[in-house]
Amino acid sequence: MTRYVHDALTAVGRVTRTAFEPVGRGTRFVLSVLHAIRDTRSWMPELSTHARILGVESLPIGIFIALFTGIVLALLASYSVGDIVPPYFVGTLVQKTVTLELAPVLTGLALAGRVGANIAAELGTMRVTEQIDALETLTFDPMSHLVVPRVLASALMFPIVVGMAMLVGMLSGWLASLMLLDISTPQFLKGVRIFFTSFDVRYGLVKSASFGAAVALIGCRAGLTTMGGAQGVGRSATRAVVISAVMILVLDAFWAVTWLTNRTLK
Amino acid sequence: MSTSKRTSDFAVGLSVISITALLIAGTLWLKQADLGGRTRHLTARARDVGGVALGNPVVIRGVRAGRVESIALGDNDWVVLKLALDRTVDIPRDPVVLLAAASLFGEWQATVMSRDGVPADRVLRAALDEARAGSDTVAGAVLPDIAQLTAVAGRISGDVAKVAERVEIAFDDAAARELRESIRNFAQLSGDLARTVNVQSKNLDKISANVQTGLATINDAAARLSTFSSRVDSATRRGELQMIVNNSQTAAREMVTAAQQLRELTARLDRTEANLTQAVARADSIFAKANSRSGTLGLMLNDPALYQQSDSLVRELRALVSDVKKHPKRYINMRMF
Repeated sequence: MTRYVHDALTAVGRVTRTAFEPVGRGTRFVLSVLHAIRDTRSWMPELSTHARILGVESLPIGIFIALFTGIVLALLASYSVGDIVPPYFVGTLVQKTVTLELAPVLTGLALAGRVGANIAAELGTMRVTEQIDALETLTFDPMSHLVVPRVLASALMFPIVVGMAMLVGMLSGWLASLMLLDISTPQFLKGVRIFFTSFDVRYGLVKSASFGAAVALIGCRAGLTTMGGAQGVGRSATRAVVISAVMILVLDAFWAVTWLTNRTLK
Repeated sequence: MSTSKRTSDFAVGLSVISITALLIAGTLWLKQADLGGRTRHLTARARDVGGVALGNPVVIRGVRAGRVESIALGDNDWVVLKLALDRTVDIPRDPVVLLAAASLFGEWQATVMSRDGVPADRVLRAALDEARAGSDTVAGAVLPDIAQLTAVAGRISGDVAKVAERVEIAFDDAAARELRESIRNFAQLSGDLARTVNVQSKNLDKISANVQTGLATINDAAARLSTFSSRVDSATRRGELQMIVNNSQTAAREMVTAAQQLRELTARLDRTEANLTQAVARADSIFAKANSRSGTLGLMLNDPALYQQSDSLVRELRALVSDVKKHPKRYINMRMF
């Protein structure tokens, strides 16, 4: 009897530890990254390079996604509520959904695949080829040299890419309304302006910055813990993308609860 | 610095600056920020702003002229609105701000109009007067929105439902039968009425023809009266009418006098007649007596011998008198002392 109780308690403890261990490790990883930010001489020279790779080179995909998102949104808005509300509400729906949700989330998911996988694969390869071990041997801090510039670049450039996506999304929505829905520019503009506030843009940009930081952190963590050669690199990259996508959605809900709760109708 | 690093720096810098500039410019444009001083501000106060929110349009005579820039709680339970208007737009004289829903979809607007054009609603005007009293700000008030109207409609429909329920209770089979009977009686009555009206209409036609004839006669008389009046009027101008009136008055007075005299004469005649009647009655009795040969006169009148004797007596007396006149001494002997 005592043995069974002991075994049961042991199992519960093991499950709990297993569940919380990744959280603890992740938290320690984030704290070490924050600690490594102080070493600006290590990461500053690399920042622009990673910003270009992760941000500037991601602009086309962000623009591409936003272009079709805007068109689809305009058509969807007209189809859903076209007979019930005045036509200018299409502009309102396009503006609100693009700036608040679709531009940050869709762009973040797309970049999670590109940026997260890129980082995980790069660092994973460096791990399996023992380049990181060599850095450590040469007393270079891998955190400040490898992780911090990527995280900061991602956190900086994600809002830039998402901002561009917002502009392109509204522009394509306007064009689709003009050419496909016979909604005039003044009507569309009226709908965009009537409920527009700068908070919409701020909300989307802050959210995207958190997405960028999360994607980079997850990618770096996955890359630095890669084991098992090429297969391990592949697994790390896949894991990074999946966890990044989940984290993007979790963060999306977090910001909605944090920032939108007091602004909604109750 | 290597070429690739410089390129990276340039690309990142360009991307960051251009996209940030675009975002800021787009945000300012969508917010309709006043960058060139093209707006002027109008401050209004109201007890309530209803559903007006920041950015809602400000409309003058149906045309969008600005937007609501700020809404804030003021002193003494007032709400202060700051409206940003296009500088080129003329604000109406004695302006007031009316807040109302522009559509059924939650969109409100602030309408700036002249005080004279405010709808004739007592409550609304009182609210505007209260907002204007003792303040330099423009008066504002909320028009009843769809929620209030629907609440009123809801109450009305509730009342109608109650009335319908009561009518349903009151209107049972017996009431329906009575109603049918009433309708039948009404149909009969209306038929009788129609027949009566038909008959009377013919009479009315005759009467109207007579009235028309009478009116024609009256018209003629009126024409003659008009002619007479014109003559009178011309006579009046020459004073003849006054003279006629005076003469008429004099004649009337004389007539009165004559009437009075006539009355007196009539009275005298009455008395005379009475006397005459008495005299005739006496004469009649005398004549009756005379005719009846009674009395001296009767004997005298009816006896010829008496007449003859009397006649001869009278002749003799005449002869005596003449003889006396001729020979007075024969008959009279007078001595003095």
